[in-house]
Amino acid sequence: MSNKYVEMGMRSPVNLTWEVTQACNLRCSHCLSSSGDPAKNELSTAEALDLVEQLHTAGVFQVNFGGGEPFIRPDFEQILAACHKHGIMTCISTNGTLITPELVSRLASNRLVAIQVSLDGAKRETCDAVRGAGVYDAAIKAVKLLAATSIPASINTVLTTHNADEIPAMHELARSLGVSLRVSRFRPSGRGADNWESLRPTPEQLISFSDWLAKSGDVRTGDSFFSLTTQERQGLGLNLCGAAKLTCCVNPTGHMYPCAFLQSDRFEAGDLRASSFQEIWDTSKIYASFRNLRIHSCEECTRFDQCHGGCPAVAWHLKNDINGGDPECLERCVTSIADNRLAEAA
Amino acid sequence: MASAGFTKMAAAGIKLHPSCRTRQERFGLLFYDCKGPRLLFAATGTLLPADYFGTVRRRDEFPAGTSESEKKALQKFVTQLLEKGFLHEQ
Ligand code: SF4
Ligand code: SF4
Repeated sequence: MSNKYVEMGMRSPVNLTWEVTQACNLRCSHCLSSSGDPAKNELSTAEALDLVEQLHTAGVFQVNFGGGEPFIRPDFEQILAACHKHGIMTCISTNGTLITPELVSRLASNRLVAIQVSLDGAKRETCDAVRGAGVYDAAIKAVKLLAATSIPASINTVLTTHNADEIPAMHELARSLGVSLRVSRFRPSGRGADNWESLRPTPEQLISFSDWLAKSGDVRTGDSFFSLTTQERQGLGLNLCGAAKLTCCVNPTGHMYPCAFLQSDRFEAGDLRASSFQEIWDTSKIYASFRNLRIHSCEECTRFDQCHGGCPAVAWHLKNDINGGDPECLERCVTSIADNRLAEAA
Repeated sequence: MASAGFTKMAAAGIKLHPSCRTRQERFGLLFYDCKGPRLLFAATGTLLPADYFGTVRRRDEFPAGTSESEKKALQKFVTQLLEKGFLHEQ
């Protein structure tokens, strides 16, 4: 990853997360955006379509749609079609419960769409404990429908303490269904913050996941696992936080943030109802501060070149300090286990 | 090895892979592969327009006015793009 070029500043993000609605038919206990009811004053169809035009003009390559559950928005396919008309690639993160054969056949007519179905355990009871009764079966049904088409489909799992031991089985499950596996990092934002202590993986689980990942090259990871990435996986993804440099986030009401895990007033970069997308990208003070962010406290670490201080969102949520380095990086996991062992021995 | 009775068709040219996109940045061209996703930063300056590989090109075909030394460098670059899958043969 050429940090030198990223530091020169990109004319626009390469991809972005667009949470098109806060409405969701589920109430998952780790939901990063506390989804449930729609937000007041979500972007209208006309505003959403105008944003797509702006993204096209800006040269954005890919939009990752999330929510809430994107398929709840009645105009969601219209928004997708507008992106595809301009050659913008789209990736939809869905809970799978609203996926029907008719919807899948409409989506399959387009080669620019990829779909991630959330599933949080290889066992029904593990998944449903987080996502709600019946969700495992509905998600598997959705994955099967998608796997029968040309749509690139994957299972997306948020790593928690409850499913950490099931990740290899999930890999098998994904393989047997003919889709890939993507594992995302659990972060203490939204409802995830309320349930952080009961769901967070232990340092031991994080290290063993990191070891397993090193041997599982076909497993994809969400954007901020690089702080747990071993040498073997270097080159498979980013090795620095892309927030405000390569990516950003638009929320359902058109407010922009550095990333989906930093959606609070403190990190608001701008309002698309007041300024254009390009204006916000170019002039936001918050974005400038992320582009200039240097995690000096990590510079002496032997893994610094591999992670550059890790995920500022985790640092913010756990320590209230984006400058402090990722509190759950591989190095700190190892140190915390060693400290615990010393304390036990004393 | 080609099986008996079949000969390998010569590729007509090279083109941007359908899963990839490019755009102009200050340093040159930025390539993006949504499978991955992967990025490639190419310090090509303004030698190649961003949509250059949107149409099928011969491997040794470059915009008019490209000097011989620039062509050499660009040929190396094209080989690298093919190896990395950002371009494909058609
Ligand atoms: S995690 Fe996804 S499916 Fe679950 S409540 Fe949040 S938006 Fe809905
Ligand atoms: S803040 Fe964390 S989750 Fe957000 S882009 Fe940076 S590394 Fe990824």
